[in-house]
Amino acid sequence: MSLFQKVLIANRGEIALRVARACRELDIATVAVHSTEDRDSAVVQYADEAVQIGPAPAKRSYLSIPAIVEAALRSGADAVHPGYGFLSEDPDLAEVCRDNGLSYIGPPADVIARLGDKTAARQLMAEVGLPMLPGSLHPLHTVAEAEQVAREIGYPVIIKAAAGGGGRGMSIVHEAAGFGAAYQQTRAQAQALFGDSRVYVERYLAAARHVEIQVLADGHGNAVHLGERDCTVQRRQQKLIEESPAPKLSREKIDQVGELAVRGALAAGYVGAGTFEFLLAPDGQFSFMEVNCRIQVEHPVTELVTRMDLVQEQLRIAAGHPLSVAQQDVERHGAAMECRINAEDPDRDFAPAPGVLDEFWPPGGPFTRVDTHAYPGYSVPAAYDSLLAKLIVWAPTRPAALSRMDRALEEFQVRGRGVSTTIGFLRRVLSDPRFAAGEHDTTIVGRLTSTKEETT
Amino acid sequence: MTRNSPDTPEPAVPEPELAEPADPGQVGEVLEQVRGEAIRLLEEVPQPRALRVQAGGVSVDVEWANAGQAAQPVAPAGDEPAEPAAQAAEPAAEPDGPHVTSPAVGVFYRAPEPGADPFVAEGDTVSAGQQVAIVEAMKLMIPVEAEQPGRIVTVLKDNGEAVEYGERLFALEPEDAG
Repeated sequence: MSLFQKVLIANRGEIALRVARACRELDIATVAVHSTEDRDSAVVQYADEAVQIGPAPAKRSYLSIPAIVEAALRSGADAVHPGYGFLSEDPDLAEVCRDNGLSYIGPPADVIARLGDKTAARQLMAEVGLPMLPGSLHPLHTVAEAEQVAREIGYPVIIKAAAGGGGRGMSIVHEAAGFGAAYQQTRAQAQALFGDSRVYVERYLAAARHVEIQVLADGHGNAVHLGERDCTVQRRQQKLIEESPAPKLSREKIDQVGELAVRGALAAGYVGAGTFEFLLAPDGQFSFMEVNCRIQVEHPVTELVTRMDLVQEQLRIAAGHPLSVAQQDVERHGAAMECRINAEDPDRDFAPAPGVLDEFWPPGGPFTRVDTHAYPGYSVPAAYDSLLAKLIVWAPTRPAALSRMDRALEEFQVRGRGVSTTIGFLRRVLSDPRFAAGEHDTTIVGRLTSTKEETT
Repeated sequence: MTRNSPDTPEPAVPEPELAEPADPGQVGEVLEQVRGEAIRLLEEVPQPRALRVQAGGVSVDVEWANAGQAAQPVAPAGDEPAEPAAQAAEPAAEPDGPHVTSPAVGVFYRAPEPGADPFVAEGDTVSAGQQVAIVEAMKLMIPVEAEQPGRIVTVLKDNGEAVEYGERLFALEPEDAG
């Protein structure tokens, strides 16, 4: 069975370049699509063809299904890779691709739709036997019904949009008095953000860890897990540092959760690369959160410990190949860590700080990988997200990976008028004793930013 | 939505300045004179810092931001120094006058349906908001409208040709020109 002839990459930034590289290694031609803002971007230079699909606003370019599919058809592409963000979890793109004879590199449309509905996903995974936080398995329709559920769970609770994702459309409620207002507000927010006002309630864990399982499933009923990533270092649900293995967790425990994720993937009819997100409570209890139906920003962490190319696996699976590995063939070596270098100013509440990069010197050296679309002279657009580069290192042990990461961050030089980056802040996290000991939780970023405010 | 000059921020293209109204024939003659003068001067002075060519009521100013480097006052194409001044003196809309550009990636159609008369032909005068073509994207017929009034100078694409977002479809001559 052959692979694709030509893949259209429906994305921008570092992930578009990442996908194009995977294609080139597999001898697949690439088509980049871009907005007017991105006409000089790295992937436009790199790809075999480029099509300008719209103006800077994503709604009329990277989020426009007609523009993307039209570009795919006219360029003779036989598959579309959605990357992450943008249309990567929109069942409509998968469906329109299929209807136009294009392979979609991701799960089938109905699987994306089902798992994208958080309550439907919770219901399915609970049936399969995945552990859940106490909460509602169905959307709640009245404030009385929701308050009843919250009372049964016990405060604090979190109200989440059923159609939500990316950390948006959720509110934490600490006591019964604030519930009614928060409920109405979250519904309104959900309606505005996702066009779907349905919400559900579950227990809120103030101090937890975020651990996710990478899975791969083919179209022949096979699925494997590739171990975990610990993404506990987050700010407002946005991940800053990811690593594997998760500190202080036994391999047996991870394999147990991994097997559950595989079971969930098979039950959902999943095809492709996907991620099962879990919360890990201080008592060691895992709880299923959601499934991400796409390649993730932090996938290189898994690539470095498993020595597998996940984007190439996605391409092979979408072309109909069976998985190249069975579960017993999946090996995990050493420790890998990723830092997200964002064009943001940590001193101004991580406000986006775009501009022209007068200087851009990524680090090098052993076991040091930089995935970036930036270059000296690149103008970081304000129109899109602020991810500038991903710095990923590998070492035999976690302490060695930490030292290597700090060394690499120190080497990373980014300068430009108005440009700030998260590099300095990331080094602060690395030097935090609790992080170094692997004893941190999701409150770490808040703790480090507020400490700084107090001391200045 | 249509718009003009969709490309990168335009470099400082010198516009011919008309000091006083003149009849079209006279303007053509004067422009020709300016063009010849500019070419001659640029041949003689290899790396000028600034250049002004004046003839009759027309003057053209060209400034080089970096006198030590090749002069590039006009296009990103890296033309010869003589080109900018000569092009700038052209009275027509080519290449940097107003254009009607494609509102989407798709297929360009000049007529409402196969066999029908085209919406517009070269030489036609169009008003702002007037439909001049169709771009079809995923069976969606997107009307292409002129953003400003003017005369269609050139139809730049063939019927049925694939176009990208922002690509130039028609060259327009502003209504108030000469």
